[in-house]
Amino acid sequence: MNAVDVQKARKIKKLQTWLIVLGIVVITIWSGIETDFSFESLIFGSREAATFVFTDLLPPDFTVITGLIKPALDTIYMSFVAMVIGAVIAAFLSVFTAATTSPHPALQVFMRAYSSLFRNIPVLIWTILLTASFGLGALVGTLSLIMVSVGVLTRAFAEVLEEIDEGQVEAIRATGANYFKVLAQGVLPQFSPGFFGWSLYMLEINVRASTIIGMVGGGGLGFVIQSNIKLFQYGQVSMAIILVLVIVLLTEWLTNQIRERII
Amino acid sequence: MKGKTMSIDKLSSINIAEANKPRKNNALLIVLILGGIFFFFSLSQLPIDYSKLIEGSAKFLSTLTVMLPPDMTYWREVLLAALESLQVAIVGTVIAIILGLLLSFPAAENLTPHPSIAWGIKGFASFLRAIPTLIWALIFIVAVGMGPFTGILAITVGATGMLIKVFSQSIEEIDEGVIEAMKATGASWTSIVIHGVIPTVLTAFLAWCILRLEGDIAESTILGAVGAGGIGWELMHAMRLYKFDQAFFVALVIFAMVFSVELVTNRLKMRLKTK
Repeated sequence: MNAVDVQKARKIKKLQTWLIVLGIVVITIWSGIETDFSFESLIFGSREAATFVFTDLLPPDFTVITGLIKPALDTIYMSFVAMVIGAVIAAFLSVFTAATTSPHPALQVFMRAYSSLFRNIPVLIWTILLTASFGLGALVGTLSLIMVSVGVLTRAFAEVLEEIDEGQVEAIRATGANYFKVLAQGVLPQFSPGFFGWSLYMLEINVRASTIIGMVGGGGLGFVIQSNIKLFQYGQVSMAIILVLVIVLLTEWLTNQIRERII
Repeated sequence: MKGKTMSIDKLSSINIAEANKPRKNNALLIVLILGGIFFFFSLSQLPIDYSKLIEGSAKFLSTLTVMLPPDMTYWREVLLAALESLQVAIVGTVIAIILGLLLSFPAAENLTPHPSIAWGIKGFASFLRAIPTLIWALIFIVAVGMGPFTGILAITVGATGMLIKVFSQSIEEIDEGVIEAMKATGASWTSIVIHGVIPTVLTAFLAWCILRLEGDIAESTILGAVGAGGIGWELMHAMRLYKFDQAFFVALVIFAMVFSVELVTNRLKMRLKTK
């Protein structure tokens, strides 16, 4: 390639970049017009929101905290139970999903589609769909969290399995170890950092999700927030939001601590 | 811990790594045991009626038969609502990217005019991030009413919190030498940012923007469930009327939306990686 060609290629690349930028700008402006967005309303909206937060929402009503502890704990229990059950099911399913360990390619494709179905329908949508059969409460919340956990973790674990170094597994097999010894000594040590890393990550996601599934009938803090907003009990709402904040930040801190110590 | 092993010579650091292994295994064992206990404790504390689990599963199977085939009578409305969700996500993400860009430079420790400013912005960002988007949506509904605009505000707030964090982290990972060298030439703060920092972090920023758009599109599909516009409301509506076949169609559309976004973003991420 001579210098002229290089320059030409560079020009085309530059043009391409600008076209992409232009495309993004056009799409954004079109979306803005369609959704009645304007900068005046943005400023107006932020001002209204700030007024609402500072005059109505704050200060939080600390007297209701005893009543909120139960839903707050439910939120934590739901996300933890869902993470554990999800991780166990996903660890099992991922063996059939990973290209390296799947007994049959057709099964692998089926499992991938299956996990993507669970993963790509948001938790809240699962909750809405399941409330019709399971009624309201913690059961629905836990079930929908499990669904999404299985979806996310099956894919993640399958990727971990696919990245396992076959050489190490071969080496242990060569020593004459039986199937279970190969699993324990060759596969498990390579699988476990990914397994725990992703499970902890899932716990964080579940905790966030479980604070909102209550809004559509999944139990926990979301229900308290939703119903108290309808009753104009803003002091209780802000107290519940503070608890959400505490739970989310505490989980993040805790999972970071555990991650540092075991992975 | 890290600093200590770095200062000692290589041989003994290997020894420390070896010595760490059983300790890590012990920690793992403790975490596993505690986790197991907490799991059964949680299970016992949850107000779950197990007879309802069986009953519900049977009921769910029977609703599944009602759900099929999906009812597409209102396909126009559903697709328009899906489009609205997409638009809400795009506008919200773009505003968040602009805000994130503006705030991440003073929030990065190596560029901030003052450490307390960096600390303040980061604290603010983690506050925005820790409150789920749907709760922001509820707050904005009370403040400015229902509709897609509320959705945009909620998406913007959540996404801004995340983008400030990841953008400033990317900036902090820049080689100190680059910034030092530019400072030595007498370059101003803005020209350091424009000529030294932005070209280095551009790829990372783009990857984060794509990831955030992916997340926001998924979020925007659920905003409607509380009345903030988009396709979530269609689902709530159909379920409330017990029109399971219509609800199933809406769910399929949501799945198609989120799934195709995942496909596209995966491809984009691959391209960014190979660049």
